[in-house]
Amino acid sequence: MEQVVLLKRELKHWVDLIRGDFQVFVPSRVYGETFFLPYAGHLEPDLLCGNAALPYLPPKDLVFPQSETLFSFTRNAGDVDLSVPERPSEKRVFLGIRSCDTVGLHWLDHFYLNNFRDSYYQSRRDPLTLISIACSQPMKNCFCICCEGGPFLHPETTAFDIQLVDLEDHYLVECNSEKGKALVDLNRNLFSQPDPSMVEARDQVEIKSHTRFLQEPTSYMSAAIRRITSNSVPPEVWTELGERCFDDGGCTFVCPCCSCFGVGYTAKGETGCHYRFWDSCDYSGFTREVSGHNPRAEKGERFKRRFFHKLSYHYVKKDGRIGCVGCGRCITACPGEVGMPAVVERLRRG
Amino acid sequence: MDNIYLPHKAILTGIQDETYDTKTFEFEFVERALKENFRFLPGQFLEISVLGIGEAPFGVASNPNHPERFRVTIRAVGSVTRALHELKTGDRVGIRGPFGNGFPFDEMKGKNILFVAGGIGLPPLRSLIEPMLDSRSEFKDIQILYGARSPADLVYSDRLKEWEKTPEIRFMMSVDVGDPAWTGNVGVVTTLFPKAGLMTQNAVAFVCGPPVMIRFVILELLGRGFAPENIISTLERYMKCGVGKCGHCAVGHKYICLDGPVFSYKDMMKLSEKVV
Repeated sequence: MEQVVLLKRELKHWVDLIRGDFQVFVPSRVYGETFFLPYAGHLEPDLLCGNAALPYLPPKDLVFPQSETLFSFTRNAGDVDLSVPERPSEKRVFLGIRSCDTVGLHWLDHFYLNNFRDSYYQSRRDPLTLISIACSQPMKNCFCICCEGGPFLHPETTAFDIQLVDLEDHYLVECNSEKGKALVDLNRNLFSQPDPSMVEARDQVEIKSHTRFLQEPTSYMSAAIRRITSNSVPPEVWTELGERCFDDGGCTFVCPCCSCFGVGYTAKGETGCHYRFWDSCDYSGFTREVSGHNPRAEKGERFKRRFFHKLSYHYVKKDGRIGCVGCGRCITACPGEVGMPAVVERLRRG
Repeated sequence: MDNIYLPHKAILTGIQDETYDTKTFEFEFVERALKENFRFLPGQFLEISVLGIGEAPFGVASNPNHPERFRVTIRAVGSVTRALHELKTGDRVGIRGPFGNGFPFDEMKGKNILFVAGGIGLPPLRSLIEPMLDSRSEFKDIQILYGARSPADLVYSDRLKEWEKTPEIRFMMSVDVGDPAWTGNVGVVTTLFPKAGLMTQNAVAFVCGPPVMIRFVILELLGRGFAPENIISTLERYMKCGVGKCGHCAVGHKYICLDGPVFSYKDMMKLSEKVV
């Protein structure tokens, strides 16, 4: 991994230079929340700091849109033509993505690009380079430290592209992947070599960040993983948790790792399309069969399913890690107060 | 770039009425290379789409030794199956697959084979029965017990008559409710068991049918000495993609579409959700 230095005041200049070759998405403030929007000549420096607030949504929809046409069809003279929509080929950069969201995207990569590769996902993911910012100050719902989701990225656990570490008036720029190095290579003259004190300062920021997590949302992950994997959580615990679930699917839609989708079909006259859309295992219709039989008709069963997929060691073996990056968005989204840490804490008590 | 969600065009080449609500459809792929190279294993399934209406998974019901024209047997119950029932010969559908693991075949050679089918559960088993009959000498006893709700619900009536006559298999059937013309056994399929002279040694049972029937047949087989690993059945779940991505058919850490639909009872018991 290569480390170089970029002065903070040069960041906008760098973005202006790379926007010639890339569509750049930057964190932008909308009604007081942070969203990723296409760069239009304006950066908000406080959203590009180590202590910036977590964006409201993960950038999942830019690689896995909430709704997307799989193919369209036209019937003519007894035959039918099928056509796949053109995929965006533009190269993109996400600037200011957080560590947890980067890990989430890599989780989706592992899922969608292996064993029956999803070419729709891949066509959006391949042209994408991620510039993440390491977090120096976790927010009140953050528990990435319990899930290897942050606050800093490490090459051993995540094949990230570029990580910026906020060091007051400059960034230490860590280039990890070929894509990341290639992006920095385009404008080498903007970057300088770090002196040893900067690397020392970087490590201090990381150590300090680790001490700043609140006690409250930290998670008893290992107990929950063990109990879920061994199927030793009593059914009444799932029922109790399920009763607090509003079946709204909010947690799944804000989750950087949730990947399930439904498929819809539409036709008007001789044309139509088949499209996919985000679906949620929270919904009773997720498993309801045409006969009316529903293997997960009870809320508690659906609740168990969601957390089994997130935390059981069977899935860790398949996916390389748990399906939670500790971003805490499910805590914010859940009206029943059964976000990940609350569930994990309940499972620990048995 | 391969597209796992894009179906291949196929032509409906034949329709056979089976019962008042069930038909068998024969298809052939439009693309020549696919038509010539298409292969499937017994027990695998296809995702068949009626464009604009929907797509659903169906077990292949025909003999894998004759893959160029393959058949599925479909009961009209939902929007996709009803739309399929309205199609005419020559109409186009979309097909993806084959998907899933399929039934074991070579490992069954030299064994006594028992099939227990309920209603529309016979079609997927037929994709295994037919190739076994093609290689009849490689298997020991082959016995088929078939149950349906009523005589009007029995599929493959011509083939059943052949199975009743041939000395190559021992075939028995039963209906839950008879009619004036019915002279055979009346009762659920398990009522055939005491009369069937089951071979329980060196034997494997293949069970396919509605969930409640599978549950009682498995209990009966266990009681008669079949080991859990020698009871093989199929699981069904609401399913969309067929390739382990959409998440609908997940049971515990398995996907019915990738790891199934065929499971031994031993493997079913290892799933962390109750399935039978």
